[in-house]
Amino acid sequence: MAAGVGGARRHRCAGRGVEVSSTALVLEGVSYAYEEAPREAVSDISLTIGEGEWVGVTGPTNAGKSTLCLLAMGLAPHFFGGRLKGKVTVLAKDSRSVSVIERSSEVGLLFQNPFTQVSGARERVDEEVAFGPECHGVARPEVDARVEEAMGLAGITHLAARHPMELSGGQLQRLALAGLLAMRPRLLLLDEPTSQLDPAGTAAIFQVLDGLHRRGTTIVMVEHRLETLCEVCPRVVAMVAGRVIADGAPEEVFNIEKVQERVGMPVFTRLARARALPRPWPVRLRDAASAFAKSIA
Amino acid sequence: MRHRRSRSPLPEVRLDGVRFAYPGGVEVYPEPGLTLALGDGVTALVGENGAGKTTLTKLLIGLLRPNQGSVTVAGVDVASATVAEMARIVGYSFQNPDDQLFERTVKAEVSFGPRVLGKPAEDVERGVAWALKACGLQGKEEVHPHDLGLSERKWVAIASALAGEPKVVVLDEPTLGQDYPSRERLRMLAAQLADLGRAVLVVTHDMDFVGESCPTTVVLSHGVVRYAGATEKAFADRSMVDDAGIQPPHVTALARSLGMSESVSEAAFLAAIRW
Repeated sequence: MAAGVGGARRHRCAGRGVEVSSTALVLEGVSYAYEEAPREAVSDISLTIGEGEWVGVTGPTNAGKSTLCLLAMGLAPHFFGGRLKGKVTVLAKDSRSVSVIERSSEVGLLFQNPFTQVSGARERVDEEVAFGPECHGVARPEVDARVEEAMGLAGITHLAARHPMELSGGQLQRLALAGLLAMRPRLLLLDEPTSQLDPAGTAAIFQVLDGLHRRGTTIVMVEHRLETLCEVCPRVVAMVAGRVIADGAPEEVFNIEKVQERVGMPVFTRLARARALPRPWPVRLRDAASAFAKSIA
Repeated sequence: MRHRRSRSPLPEVRLDGVRFAYPGGVEVYPEPGLTLALGDGVTALVGENGAGKTTLTKLLIGLLRPNQGSVTVAGVDVASATVAEMARIVGYSFQNPDDQLFERTVKAEVSFGPRVLGKPAEDVERGVAWALKACGLQGKEEVHPHDLGLSERKWVAIASALAGEPKVVVLDEPTLGQDYPSRERLRMLAAQLADLGRAVLVVTHDMDFVGESCPTTVVLSHGVVRYAGATEKAFADRSMVDDAGIQPPHVTALARSLGMSESVSEAAFLAAIRW
């Protein structure tokens, strides 16, 4: 997939010129438990993500990936309540002191399930995309310009007049993304942004994300499809049971045995391991192709 | 019914010249309509967003009725059956589990279907126990479904589809949000259902899962069947594959870049490379 996306690696921390050292998201000793939950959803996480980075987050069910997104958005604890320990700093502000509505002007969270993202209050796709900017009191001509741009980026301009509830799962996911883009966030939190899209649609969305990344938007993306993750993300955070177990370049992370066992690994890595190729094992198609070509020769 | 295992000539699912348009006027299957026959075993239904995949599955259970043409499932003409009657034959798990789940515990949810279908208590008990085990939900029977994460809710929805021991199982995007161990469980479950002589239709965008788990593939694009047959050959016609908005499995891409024969599963790739 992602031909033309792999180049993103070069742009790590680029895009904002002299501001490369500023941080988008900092977690310091963060633990969080939901209201009435017997155990913590994330435990003692410390993580720093610079502005302009594109970081992939992965791990098995109940690793705490979605909770990480909710914490960065401020929905945990502002909306969900629960118990937060440690400090979450988003775009230089302590999340405890910033309301979600204030936060939503600069941070956008794409929910795992797009059905939960649409407002339900709008009867047309374009009106749904306008919902966020309107709620923030953006002037009409500016709203219209943003809606047009966001629908174009998400590839749903042709659906403008449709009712959101009549869309397919994949179309709804694009609509949810368009709603976020209309807010022009500096930090995008994406919880499996292409889970309901076909491969062509997935490639198209990753091209859009790559464009945003090049313009300096910070992207934190939860992704289960490890091949996709390794192709597009210069940095991968692997989580298990609420803790970060590895953090680094994909080729480092997926060569760690503990990650392979508990998180899994891309197809290419698994094949190289099965064939006992020399380490490090490849995580991307092109690296796998050259590693296998050498082994056959 | 035993003889079905040895390739019964009677397909489990048959659509003949099916036309369907949503009330808004969006036509899903153009002239002359959709015609397709599927036997038992595991079949993948793939194609671009909006190709008509979910619509097709809803026609099988009678949730949607064709404007024209006929749908037959396990010998029953869907037009003459109620949704409740079809629910005895077809187990269906929705793309979005939240469209489906409403009970207070996982066990109540999973047993709801067979219970309201009036199955004998022992059949309900057996079907539910089997489904919970196959879906990795043992120990979670008393949990509220909405206290589970999306991927586990997806499993509750799948277990609910299986608990009535239906002849035909339809799973809409079962791999959505699933980690690797869950996808492995799903692969084993699909194989197990095939061994039991059930017909399993899996709607998915996950081509790696298709290559590993589904011996048969149907490619649907803009309401037209572009391919129906063995998965090994499903990705060979590259222009068709591009048209349909799909991509070959990752292992196929690797095999091609090495100039090897087309492999759609990891096992086939490793066998081919081991000469």
